[in-house]
Amino acid sequence: MGIEFRNVTKTFGGACVVDDLSLEIRDGEFIVLLGPSGCGKTTTLRMLAGLESVTSGDIFIDGGPVNDVPTQHRDLAMVFQSYALYPHMTIAENIGYPLRVRKLDKADRAARVRRVAAMLEIESLLDRKPRQLSGGERQRVALARAIVREPRAYLMDEPLSNLDARLRVQMRGELKRLQHELGTTTIYVTHDQAEAMTLASRVAVMNKGRLQQFDTPLKIYNEPANRFVAEFVGSPSMNFIEREHVTEGIRPEHIQVLSTPEDGAIEARVYVTELMGNETFVFLSVGDNRLIAREPADFRADVDTKVWLRIATEKIHRFDPVTGESQKHIK
Amino acid sequence: MHKTEHKISNKGNVLFVSFVRFVILLSALVFALAPVYWMLTISFKTEGDQFASPPLWFSFTPTLEHYYDAFVTRAFGEYLLTSAIVAVTSTVLALVIGTLAAYALARFELPFKLNRRLSLWILSTRMFPAIVTAVPLFLMMRDLQLLNTRAALIIVHTSFNLPFVVWMMRGFFADLPRDLEEAALVDGDSRLGALVRVVLPLVSPGLAATAVFCLIVSWNEFLFALVLTQTDAAMTLPVGIAGRVTQYEIKWGVMSAAASVAIVPILVFALALQKYLVRGLSMGAVKG
Amino acid sequence: MPRSRRFFNAQNKRELLLPALFLAPALAVLLALSIYPLIYSVTISLQQESAAGATWSLGNFTRLFSDNFFWTAMGHTLVYAVAALACEFLLGLGLALLLNNQIRGRSFFRASLLVPMMLPTVVVGVVWRLMLNPNFGAVNGTLKQFGVDTESLTWTASPKLAMLSVIAVDVWQWTPFVFLVLLAGLQAIPQEPYEAALIDGSSRWQTFWHVTLPLLKPSILIVLLLRTMDLLRVFDQIFILTEGGPGFATETISLYIYRAAFRFFDFGYAAAMSFVLLALTNIISALYIRFLQAKES
Repeated sequence: MGIEFRNVTKTFGGACVVDDLSLEIRDGEFIVLLGPSGCGKTTTLRMLAGLESVTSGDIFIDGGPVNDVPTQHRDLAMVFQSYALYPHMTIAENIGYPLRVRKLDKADRAARVRRVAAMLEIESLLDRKPRQLSGGERQRVALARAIVREPRAYLMDEPLSNLDARLRVQMRGELKRLQHELGTTTIYVTHDQAEAMTLASRVAVMNKGRLQQFDTPLKIYNEPANRFVAEFVGSPSMNFIEREHVTEGIRPEHIQVLSTPEDGAIEARVYVTELMGNETFVFLSVGDNRLIAREPADFRADVDTKVWLRIATEKIHRFDPVTGESQKHIK
Repeated sequence: MHKTEHKISNKGNVLFVSFVRFVILLSALVFALAPVYWMLTISFKTEGDQFASPPLWFSFTPTLEHYYDAFVTRAFGEYLLTSAIVAVTSTVLALVIGTLAAYALARFELPFKLNRRLSLWILSTRMFPAIVTAVPLFLMMRDLQLLNTRAALIIVHTSFNLPFVVWMMRGFFADLPRDLEEAALVDGDSRLGALVRVVLPLVSPGLAATAVFCLIVSWNEFLFALVLTQTDAAMTLPVGIAGRVTQYEIKWGVMSAAASVAIVPILVFALALQKYLVRGLSMGAVKG
Repeated sequence: MPRSRRFFNAQNKRELLLPALFLAPALAVLLALSIYPLIYSVTISLQQESAAGATWSLGNFTRLFSDNFFWTAMGHTLVYAVAALACEFLLGLGLALLLNNQIRGRSFFRASLLVPMMLPTVVVGVVWRLMLNPNFGAVNGTLKQFGVDTESLTWTASPKLAMLSVIAVDVWQWTPFVFLVLLAGLQAIPQEPYEAALIDGSSRWQTFWHVTLPLLKPSILIVLLLRTMDLLRVFDQIFILTEGGPGFATETISLYIYRAAFRFFDFGYAAAMSFVLLALTNIISALYIRFLQAKES
């Protein structure tokens, strides 16, 4: 049946940290809560775990209300940003802790720990202590501890943010594969939109405590509900031009830079180019506005060259200049 | 006295100042330890040597007669046992009760600013002059017919070690990051289970230091023991030693032998834990 | 709206149950053994024995005004406290300043200096009774060797020297504490202010007065507060050294309260005096704390 948030609000002192959040999560989905720091995504996760109380509203797991159910009885597993490995226990004891607490017998525990360790390729580390492990290894131990139990859902709080860039990409892939194999509902918190796009079956974008949009990654990218979502998702981010009654947005890949003028093309000057290796980012100035365009790797242009821009008009997004709400884009 | 030393370019001058410092240090050390040493010598000297003039600091033949007298012939062995039992029991009780309370104050957010208010209140009970509670406690114990029992001493000692345990352990708990306990809760452990399995092992050095401090305080305690125990049945070592002093014929040898034994645990613990003890004694003086 | 709803929310009730359980034993013990005795004490201090049994009266408190022993004891306590505090502070501060840079053998040194204050107070009393014994004590013995006439130096038995002796013993025991705390405070002071003062051309004395002392003030105040509280309620060492004598020359307030309760069995009067002592210590500590907080802001 899944997980449901119904009009959930959380206030700390006077400040409203989560504002009237409603979400329905289906069994087996990989949901990502995406947003900048302070947007309330971690607080939402912690309310689901029972580590924060709910100020108003209700949370349901498999149809049953859990507001009053203490953390230890919710049958969820969590991977913390800091991994929260027990420093005084060995890796095997760390992984086996949830089973020990449920009074499984020793032999049973050991078997399951070994199985999970094999799955994550950390068998050789079972007798060591957390302080002897590298960041990537600790992260896998934290994962192992979460999956050893077969809980109702996995909660993950920015688990990859402490890893270096290369390891992060590698672990991203392994996480996705793992979730696919295990099929358990996962709720994943991050501020990294690339992680959200690549991992999620659906993304919930949040800002300042409010849900902005809850949709598949592709829909979020192509049909953003408001300016915030449009700007937050996509790298480099969408270009915006403020007009009198509307804000227009166009993604960098929908701008083509031409060396010769043509019908309908806009005049512009090259501000600077960034050669990324696999593509080139072209920074342009059009009147008072700055735009970014994506061009293939072999694109070259000198600074201050006059160029012309072909814009795919059907890809222009239109937003209300005051509320930021999306108006249907021009067909 | 700090870096202004650099003004003195003469190396000889610097050496001289260091030498003076060393002498002062040494003198302080001698002043601190010599009187204790003196008492130790009295305990090992025959009565004749004790009264020798000029005083014999080193050249005497040691004897164990006073130790034998105190611990075998007289009841000092029993006093020693009582002191030990009271110290250990009251420390254990104070640790259990105090650690639970400290954990609650450190981890749960209570309404009406109770966390802070309760901590201060608990600490303030330690500030009473002992005599203020000693008189009514004597009367209360008398009414309960608990005078001259070890139980009375254990109860009282527990109550005045408790604030210290709460104060120390609360600090240690507060220094521990929360996510370990949260992970334990999510993993399915109860609050108490998480405390025992995850938190306590991690604060065990602090727990040990607190325990030692409580043992020392209880071991040294005099006024409550004096007031609450008059008979050999439950007399502690300090009171037993004092008894020898307020009598007509003072057996200095016996008294100093008993006193020398009384300080052995202190010296052992002091050497082992001097870093923690300074912090505990100054009660956060440095951080203010 | 959210606030009141939160407090009576069922989950929060359960959240309060566990901490309440954890706190209950400690609070029970303290209420029974620290607070209840005080209440008990109040009731007996306000009662006096008369022909008709115990009656409520302020007699115990009014008696204080005309009781010479009480005022003498207060006087002794204040003299003792002020003198000991001054000596301990000056010696301790001097030693700390002097030895701030000494590095060699620090652990051993610190451990050895801890010894006097770790000793049971009884033992301190015994040690110094032995040292100060007019006939075979090391003090007189050593003085004699230097040719000093020790005939009249009966220390704890002499009405003139007894107070001096007990003060000296306290200074012996607790100067190390003051020294260690102030040393720790000194070492917590960062180097930059000193370097700035040097560059500004400040002399040693000026640096001390304008840089060291102000930065050391929190440590100083705390150590003064702790010592003052301890000195005002002193009992053990004096009990062993002189039992308040000779005569009543060294009887401090705690000793007088003890005498009233356990020699004369006048518990009501002893209770009344206890409250005066309690009030005194509370007022003084409140003053210190206010002073401390004023300095910090």
